[in-house]
Amino acid sequence: MPDFASIVGPDHVTETASILTVSPASTDETAAVMRLCAERKLVVSPRGGDTKLNWGNPVTPQVILDTRRLAGVREHSWQDLTATVGAGTTWEAMECNLAQHGQRVALDPLFASTATVGGIIAVNDSGALRMRYGSLRDLVIGMTIVLSDGTIARSGGKVVKNVAGYDLPKLLTGSFGTLGIITEVTFRLHPVQATSETWTVPSDDIHVLAELQRNLTTAAMSIESLQTRTDEDGFALDVRFASLPEVLREHEQRLREVSGGLTTSPSTHDVWQTREHLFKRPGATILKITALPNKVGAILQGFKSLLQNSTVACVADATGIITVALAAAPTQIVAIIHDLRARLRGDGGMVVILRAAPDIPGDIDRWGGSPPAIAVMRAVKQQFDPERLLNPGKFVGGI
Amino acid sequence: MLTQAILAELRSAVGDGGLIHQPNQLQTYECDGLTNFRALPGAVVLPQSTAEVQKVVRVCAKHKIAFVARGAGTGLSGGALPQEGCVVISLARMNRILAVDLDNARITVEPGVTNSQVTERVKAAGFFYAPDPSSQSVCTIGGNLAENAGGAHCLKYGFTVTHVLGCEVVLPSGEVTWFGSEHGVVDSPGYDLAGVFIGSEGTLGIATRAVLRIVRRPESVQTLLAAFNETSAAAQSVSDIIAAGMLPSAMEMMDRISISACEASVHAGYPDCEALLLVELDGPTAEVSAQMVQVRSICERNGAWEQRLAQTEKERALVWKGRKAAFAAMGRVSPNYIVQDGVIPRTKLPQILAQMKARSDETGLRVANVFHAGDGNLHPMVLYNGAIEGEEARALEFSYEILRMCVDAGGSITGEHGVGREKQCEMSYMYAAPDLATMNRVRLALDPDNIANPEKLFPTPRLCGERTHGAYKPHPIEAAGIAEVF
Repeated sequence: MPDFASIVGPDHVTETASILTVSPASTDETAAVMRLCAERKLVVSPRGGDTKLNWGNPVTPQVILDTRRLAGVREHSWQDLTATVGAGTTWEAMECNLAQHGQRVALDPLFASTATVGGIIAVNDSGALRMRYGSLRDLVIGMTIVLSDGTIARSGGKVVKNVAGYDLPKLLTGSFGTLGIITEVTFRLHPVQATSETWTVPSDDIHVLAELQRNLTTAAMSIESLQTRTDEDGFALDVRFASLPEVLREHEQRLREVSGGLTTSPSTHDVWQTREHLFKRPGATILKITALPNKVGAILQGFKSLLQNSTVACVADATGIITVALAAAPTQIVAIIHDLRARLRGDGGMVVILRAAPDIPGDIDRWGGSPPAIAVMRAVKQQFDPERLLNPGKFVGGI
Repeated sequence: MLTQAILAELRSAVGDGGLIHQPNQLQTYECDGLTNFRALPGAVVLPQSTAEVQKVVRVCAKHKIAFVARGAGTGLSGGALPQEGCVVISLARMNRILAVDLDNARITVEPGVTNSQVTERVKAAGFFYAPDPSSQSVCTIGGNLAENAGGAHCLKYGFTVTHVLGCEVVLPSGEVTWFGSEHGVVDSPGYDLAGVFIGSEGTLGIATRAVLRIVRRPESVQTLLAAFNETSAAAQSVSDIIAAGMLPSAMEMMDRISISACEASVHAGYPDCEALLLVELDGPTAEVSAQMVQVRSICERNGAWEQRLAQTEKERALVWKGRKAAFAAMGRVSPNYIVQDGVIPRTKLPQILAQMKARSDETGLRVANVFHAGDGNLHPMVLYNGAIEGEEARALEFSYEILRMCVDAGGSITGEHGVGREKQCEMSYMYAAPDLATMNRVRLALDPDNIANPEKLFPTPRLCGERTHGAYKPHPIEAAGIAEVF
């Protein structure tokens, strides 16, 4: 323990149930911490705001590397629409800072008030803005990482367009802390949309809403975000237009035309928190389902009609990502997951268990099998972390 | 050199008609769009299927022979430049569009399909394929993946990597696998191997199939030309447009030398000015019209003395034709030129232009500039006369110096052309040794024997110690006027 303390200061090393928590304040300190861990072959889990630490297979670390002191907006080149931030910055703190110049990272991740930039990137979270602005792989333009042996590597840069060398930020995005510790990130930014309006269209027929979604996306409207979800009575489609005020008026008119006989009513922007609310359901198992966009309606329909002794709620974005909160008997949940995986496999659909209720048997594969390129993924892991110190076993295929 | 036995193995992989090994025929493949680097391959194979590519790569892997994948050979950084005696794998015959799924806005293609063919195929249904390198009428999707091709419209729409949902890859070991999703589903669990493979310049394997995302054609497109007396005023307009919260689909700038060269070659009717700004907006009609009013007033405020809105599709096409001809047109004003591809933070534009001007005055070498101004991607062209002893060497040094200026300004040595052979020595200027060593770990994971397009992208002591170049010669495709260097 004195060794870690000499790197980060005694106040930033704590021990609970024989797990050390070490909080470095810089990339250099992070590298020194990792070198020490490598020397002693200690298993390390990086941790940000601890909002999604239970995603993926469980890991029992000897050291938790807390990134929250790697915080702050280091540079905001607002005229260039780029910003560099410490990975331990909470999403909300970053967005508040960027908003001073009317800018943002155009992503709506979960738990923005406590989740950190590094953690969000590590799990590749995204919300309904993804349809328009892309996912983190489109928004991250540079990254500093520390490898398990303490190597500091910077890649990408501070410009939006850059093809010099391998795009390591993409490799690290969604790698669940198994390849390196993200310490600093550069984003491309977008302007905050000054005026936007959200509309909600309910229906008890998901296929009617799916058809509406198709028509909306073909009608050349300035759609900021779009989601379909279950609600108490049936289903609902939420759409947010963002543009100049005169354009919003025109879009409202068009929405009514496209919606035909359906009821369209203005909503507050709170409906965009629905996905996050799924995680607050007590005891719920949370699934992330990915499927081709035109399969989403049938999947939502399936969930709605499936269950008698259970509750279920789903939110789907327009790119084919469905978040599901499921509460039922453990055997029933396991059966549902197996059944869904079998049904979706043919069209490339995947069912990942983000968070399992405590009574779900531990032997069910959270990732739903190994992808075709698992051998390559293992080879990459072997090169980056040959001693398997970083989150061993957490990722797909037990990486 | 390849032995008769190896040639026989290659022949059995692709058939008699799929193997080229006569020296005179091999010459066609000795360079790509970067024509001052040339090397003769030992053989060229023309496989027609993934299985044939796999067989060829297996032969290479077994004998540890270098292979270089090649699409249309339009690349500008020497990515498809052969290694002396290597096997060139041309994907030209794998040119089928395999599936179109309009419902999900997906299209599945083989690597030899050209960029334009993708858009052609889905145009009638109201879609297009967004990445648009200006060689798009001939360059192939396989090459686009290798180089992570951009184009004028990536400011708004993103690059090739934004639009690839999955790709089938023949690994350097000869194994075949999928990176991303074969079905075009987003967020496949696992590392984003497609993300790192795209733009890896053929050093991690060969894409044999790609699932691409296509985009709805916007309801409305408007293209504005604005003429300025100062490049700094045009640059300020670009910054002001961004600051006003707009995201044009393209913002291009040209300086006086480029404008006059284009006028001489294409007669696009550009105003005679120091700096020309082209702004294209697309989207819902109501939005485009409202934003164009804002753009025009910004340009006016910054001193634009002429503004011209392309009124018809034909006028728009002419405006773009002029812009896309910029490089090829340089032949009108200079016997030789070197094209570069630096990137800077947009706001550093006036500073970099001043630095270039100062060096241009010192060296006596002229520089013409066209930029993707919106994303800070510069294409400076150093003009020189190869007939003058030593001038080419000085021009080359100047062009590399410009790249270093870009790095010093916080930018990059390449925005869309790739590192290839041309800029590999500048990689060590942009990245520290541990950064490059970390990238190399990916290389080691996928290509431990270093046979996939070796001696590209990364700096090597051998090549970066002794840099020599021949004179620039136009690529056959460029000379034939099929494609312009962009």
